[in-house]
Amino acid sequence: MDQSPSFEDQLAGLLPRLRRFAHALSRNSPDADDLTQATIERALRSRDQWQPGTKLDSWCYRIMRNLWIDTARANSRKTAREAPEEEGLNVGLDPRESMDAAVDLRRIMAAMSRLPDEQREVVALILVEGFGYREVSEMLGLPIGTVSSRLVRGRTALLAMVGEQ
Amino acid sequence: MNDDEKFFAWLDGELEPAEAAEMEAKVAADPRLAGLAEQHRALKARLSDAFDPIAASPVPEHLKTAVRPTAEIVDFAATRRARKIPSLPQWTAMAATLAAGIVVGTMIPHGSSAPVEVQDGKIYAAADLNRALDTQLASAPTGDVRIGLTFRDHSGEICRSFTQQAASGLACRGGGRWQLKGMFAAPEGQGTDYRMAAGMDPNLAALVDSTMAGEPLDAAGEKAERDKSWR
Repeated sequence: MDQSPSFEDQLAGLLPRLRRFAHALSRNSPDADDLTQATIERALRSRDQWQPGTKLDSWCYRIMRNLWIDTARANSRKTAREAPEEEGLNVGLDPRESMDAAVDLRRIMAAMSRLPDEQREVVALILVEGFGYREVSEMLGLPIGTVSSRLVRGRTALLAMVGEQ
Repeated sequence: MNDDEKFFAWLDGELEPAEAAEMEAKVAADPRLAGLAEQHRALKARLSDAFDPIAASPVPEHLKTAVRPTAEIVDFAATRRARKIPSLPQWTAMAATLAAGIVVGTMIPHGSSAPVEVQDGKIYAAADLNRALDTQLASAPTGDVRIGLTFRDHSGEICRSFTQQAASGLACRGGGRWQLKGMFAAPEGQGTDYRMAAGMDPNLAALVDSTMAGEPLDAAGEKAERDKSWR
């Protein structure tokens, strides 16, 4: 009998990570959850395109990234230059944390949202989600050198924005 | 790979051992590079501090529900793809409609709470079923009616499949109301729970397949149509 977890179970297990990626891509929390929901729906509809034995997480991340390009990117471009500092999301901020830490997290998130999209996705996938260069290059359909150079530009810009701690 | 890229690839553990050792030595000998490495390690830690709590926090209920759309959407898509039910001729839909008449005639009690009413030879949703079709979203079942698929038929009207207690069916907009296109009783002894686990009734799946133009609406589309009253 087949004891492997169902597609739905595996997808449910990925939700926390997919939400984290959605929040790194999107500029606010409602958009991030909409993106997550759209990703779930697309994944369920396209489930026969996923090849069992290959990594479901890369496949879902790719779906999310492509949906984000299709929809949010078009809208966000208009507001890219005016994303207010406060929109650095308040998700996951523990009110018991020291004020300094909370402020720092908001600054980081706000800085992420000001990165150009093509740098933000690479920074999110590698520095936040922990994927390797090769995996990201396959996921995004980009040469590894492009991934690497975007990552350098993205993290350098981030550091310039948020400064040293 | 230029020097910058190589430096960061080293920082991310992406270099081959020989190259990594070489970069390691270079960084150790260069206070500027060592400082830069420190700053970027700290930046990565700050990114994790900012985003990891999202992965650690509870997943909102509506997203958990979205993963398990009570099997109907998925089921239906799978059935369609597998073409176990080939595109059915029109008479199948007519047969299904007849079945609705029989079900309605024999199993539905009369009275104001009956889920259907007959007017001018047509069967319309009433009471709880009518309310559910009007307002309920597939992702948020309440009461004993559950909405399955929402889609447009070939004439552009909105249709919705539903399950209520031991029956499931399909209703489409017509004359400003929900007109029943078919309703099927679950086989003897199979209540709602079984039906939910088993997915869509094959008769209903056939009726839906012959009625639907295009693809089912997703959650956003369903909500948008509801917000403009299914017109």
